[in-house]
This record gives sequence, C-alpha cells and structure tokens, in this order.
Amino acid sequence: MIWLTWRQFRAQAIAIGALLAVATIALVITGLEMHHSYAADLAACTPQGDCDSTFREFQNSWMPALGLIQLFLIVTPALMGIFWGAPLIGRELETGTHQLAWNQTVTRTRWLAVKLAGVGLVAVATAGILSYLLTWWAGPLDQIAGDRWQAMTFASRDIVPLGYAAFAFALGATLGLLLRRTLPAMAITLAVFIGLQILVATTFRPNLLPSSSATFPINESIASQVHGIEIRHGAEAIYFVGLPVPPGAWVMSAPPIEDASGQVVGTGAHPDCFPGFGPAAGAGGAKSVGPRIEQIGACLASDNLHEAVTYQPASHYWPLQWAETGLYVVLAAALAGTCFWWIRRRRN
Amino acid sequence: MNAILRAQALGKKYGRREALTDCTLEIPPGHVVGLVGPNGAGKTTLLKIACGMLAPTSGRIEVLGEEPNGAPAHLAKVGYVAQETPTYASLTVADHLTLGARMNPRWDAKLASARVEQLGLDPKQKAGKLSGGQRAQLALTVAVAKRPELLILDEPVASLDPLARRGFLRHLMESVAENDTSAILSSHLVSDLERVCDYLVVLVTSRVHLAGETEVLLAQHYRLVCTRRAESDLPPGLDVIWAEHSDRQSTFVVRTEAELPTGDWSAEHLELEDLVLSYMERAAAPARRTTTPTGDAR
Repeated sequence: MIWLTWRQFRAQAIAIGALLAVATIALVITGLEMHHSYAADLAACTPQGDCDSTFREFQNSWMPALGLIQLFLIVTPALMGIFWGAPLIGRELETGTHQLAWNQTVTRTRWLAVKLAGVGLVAVATAGILSYLLTWWAGPLDQIAGDRWQAMTFASRDIVPLGYAAFAFALGATLGLLLRRTLPAMAITLAVFIGLQILVATTFRPNLLPSSSATFPINESIASQVHGIEIRHGAEAIYFVGLPVPPGAWVMSAPPIEDASGQVVGTGAHPDCFPGFGPAAGAGGAKSVGPRIEQIGACLASDNLHEAVTYQPASHYWPLQWAETGLYVVLAAALAGTCFWWIRRRRN
Repeated sequence: MNAILRAQALGKKYGRREALTDCTLEIPPGHVVGLVGPNGAGKTTLLKIACGMLAPTSGRIEVLGEEPNGAPAHLAKVGYVAQETPTYASLTVADHLTLGARMNPRWDAKLASARVEQLGLDPKQKAGKLSGGQRAQLALTVAVAKRPELLILDEPVASLDPLARRGFLRHLMESVAENDTSAILSSHLVSDLERVCDYLVVLVTSRVHLAGETEVLLAQHYRLVCTRRAESDLPPGLDVIWAEHSDRQSTFVVRTEAELPTGDWSAEHLELEDLVLSYMERAAAPARRTTTPTGDAR
C-alpha cells in the first residue's frame, strides 16, 4: 500500500521537492544578503541615534518581496488541500479505481490510513519548511515593523501554517470522499478554507484570550509620544495615533478621545485647541500650518479627556499561535476520523 | 468445501428502489457460474455484495463460507473485476503488476508476467492508453495473479468487440482451469456465457428466477409443440414456463425433473439461450404465471 501511495503521489512529490529546493536556495541567498545589510545599516545608524529613515528605506526595498512570499505561504495550504487532498480519494471514487484497490489483500482502513498519513505528512512538512524559512528570512523586517499581529504576518509565521496545511489537506480528502467527485470537492475545499481562515482571524484569535486595556489621559506628555492626530467623521472624532501601548501588543480597538462621562469629543467642543479645523476656519485648513501635537495635548489637558485602548499583550503571541494551530489540528483530526468512519460503515 | 456463494433472503434497496429482492441461492463449489439477466436486473448489485463492496439491506450472504467482511484473509480469497474494469490511468502495465505483488501475499508474479507477455501488452504502456479490451485483460490479470479461490467478474466482456471477447473468455477459461478457481461472471447476453459456464443463474427484475447446473437445466426443459390446448390440459408434473398459442397450435416451454411423459406432441430440448429467454419473458410479464410459482430457485 505504501508503494501504491508513493507511486500515485510520485510526480507531485518530485514537483514539491524541486519547488522547496528552489525556494530554499532563493530565500537563503536573499535572506543572507538582507540580514547582512540590516546589520550594516544598524551599525551605521545607531551611533547617530536615529535609525528611522534608514529603516524606512530598508523596508521599502524589501517589503514587496516580503508581501509576495507571505502570499505564497498563505495560499500554499489551500493549494495542497485542493490539489492533493481533494483528488486523494475523490479521484479514485470518480474513476472507480477504488474497486481495484479495495480488492487487493489490503483492508480499506489501511488503504485510507497510508494515503492520509503519507500525503498529509508531506503537506504539513512542506508548510513547516516554508514557514521556518520565511520566519527566519523576514526576521529583520518583523523586528523593524514590531507588529507580529498583522493578519498576513501572524498567518505566515511560526507554527500556524502547519495547522492550516493539516486542516486544508484533511478537508480536501474528506470532501472528495463524501462528494465522490474531484472538482466540486476542490471548489468547496477552497471556499470552506477561506471562510474558516477569515472566521478564525476575526473571531477566534482576538477573543480567545482576555484582552488588556489601557487608558491614556490626554495631556502634553502623551501628545509628545504619539505619531500624530487623526480627525475623522466630519471632525466629530479625534484619535491620537501611536499611543504608547506596551511594545509588540496587538491593538484591537482604539476608540476616539472621550471625556470623563464617556462621550466622544469632537474638535467643535474645543475650537481653541484646533485652529484651522473649526467650522469658522472653513474646509481648507491646511495641516502644515496647524499647531504642533504637543500644543494640542497641552490645550486639551485641562478638560480631563482620555483615550482608552484594548489590546492583546505581546506575551499572548505564542499562546495564540499554539491555540490556533491546535484548533486546526483538532479539526483536521476530526475530518480524518470522519473519513475512517465513513469508509468502514458505508460500503460504496 | 464451502459453497461459492450462499445467500439467504438477500435484499438491497437504494432508497425505495429495490435493486435485489429476496435472493436465495446456493452455488456449490468448483463451478464457473454465469449470472444472466437484462440490464438493471440487479446483477451488479449482487456481485458487489458478494465481494463486500456493498452491504445488503436485508438477508445474509456467505462467500466461500464467510460473510464478506473486508478482512485480509477473505480479500485474498476473492478476486473482483468491476464492470468498468478500472485501472490506474497514469500507471503503466508493469506498475499494475508491482501493485498486485505489493498488495497480495499470494501474488503469482510468474503467472502475471507470462499473461502480460502472452497478451502482447507493453509493460511500459500507461494503462490509460490501453484499449478497452486490453484494459479488461490487465484488470483480469491482476485479479487472477492474486490467486483467488473465487473470481468475480462483472460484465467482463461488455465493452469488448467480438474478437476481444473470444480472446478474453479463452484466457479466462485457461486460468480458471489451470488454477482450479471458481468464477462468477455476469452478462446480459447468454451467448457470451454459454461456452464457458457450467452453472447458470437467471436474475430478472431484482429476483432470481432460475439457478442450476447448465447440463441439468438443459436436460430438464423441453419445448412442446402440439395442437392448440390450454395449459391445464397438459399432464400434471409439467411446469409451464412459457406458452404461445396460434390458431391451431400451441407451443410450451416446460420444466420437469422427472422423465417427460409421452403425449401427442413433439418434444425437443432447448438451446440455452432460448431457455433463458423464456424465463426472462415470463418474468417480464408476471401475469402469465398461471401455474404454481415454481421455477424459482431450483
């Protein structure tokens, strides 16, 4: 049975092996170059005490490549589910070859076990190798960005890609078995996988662990630490951007500035602090001539305003990586269990 | 030795449609069995149940003394070639033999390669590029080289041209005789089977209408041609299978296990094909069943 599985999967295995080899070589070469240039840049700018522009330039030159590689890593599990999982059993049922396989001296359970485990392990290993490479490659960029929580970043680093691969593969295989058709199984695998990815990223990941919150009183000292002020909703909401939350935290919600009673405060309530934004100044208040942020902070300080932020602290990164991987692995195991149950109980 | 196949009130329903009804059969060992019936009679269903691909909804079945359970010991004893003679399109002929060797402890590699050579198949050819006849031969080779005690072939010659049919059946008979294998093969054409089968089962509209050794069946059935008369005017002990009346003349197909009594008729034995056709016609027009519903089973 191992021989048959290998023989059926040989072409794909060789293709993925070649692809991984090329990816490894390319990432190692460009990665070493990037790591060296990062170290050199850091050494050059640190004595001057200002690395921001150096880093920005560094990011600009590497971000497009990072975006592409991340995308590749994120679609890989889906592709493996579609092209390895869905045909694994679906094609056999479609072409009737399961009747040949099931009438050799090998039980159906063993047939299924070898196929699922053999090809499934290759899928998980592929995702693991790619994820390991990308996590290493993007190290300097991740360090500069300081945000491991971005949807694309979180989903393409460390261990979650392994869970995605296991799940997508098991999903494809199960749908192929239940639908007995490869093409619909492929389509539904893609739809379900994307749907679950979105659902997990938007509901599971932010809510699994209790979030922390921090309240920042609006005054001159806070204003001196933020990157800027955003005024939205027709000047009805004011946001201080880049509040000093703990480093590496995942800010999930940052409502606009409120007063002591929890009412959102617009610029209209404090026209004196926002010259050039009030209704009297008209629409064309040029930001360049506006007051400095510190001045606004100082001006607002007396009104007892605050901005509250909820976030996941950096220490939740690994627990959430493990939890999400675990969720996908459990789902994959449940799907595999369904396959075994189905193949034993139903005789096609 | 155990019966090849023993079925007790076996039935299979797909939803509300009955594919096989109340099938009771006992086929003694050492036979090449022809399973005949029109398309949609339930032949494939019966064979799939027999090889464990399908579970019956009612009744019991034993194949070689054991319920088809999908365990390796039983799988090793039964070789099955499905109707569409499936093979792996992207695998070569040689790959199929390796597959058989890897997946069957009793695999006869010599037999397999000898058969492939004899058939003139190119071992490097992909199975997807073979003709229908060659594919059927390859599937049969894999099933035969497994050295089963029983070969089950579902419509093995349906997709073959007459020449390939003949070749396939000849090869089948050779390997069955050589290896002392029992076999069940189905077809909707009696002519396909009459040369190779020594046991016959007629399945029509999901029921078994006739089963027995071909020679015995041929000896027990007669065509009587006589002056026009009703069935009830025939002597007792004759089971009328089929009747046709013209203005002056009646023709009956009758079955009797005893000697045919002499009468004012001309009697002759039937060809196997005519015999089977008269059962099929009777089954298709159940209103014609005037006498007792014998003829079922044996």
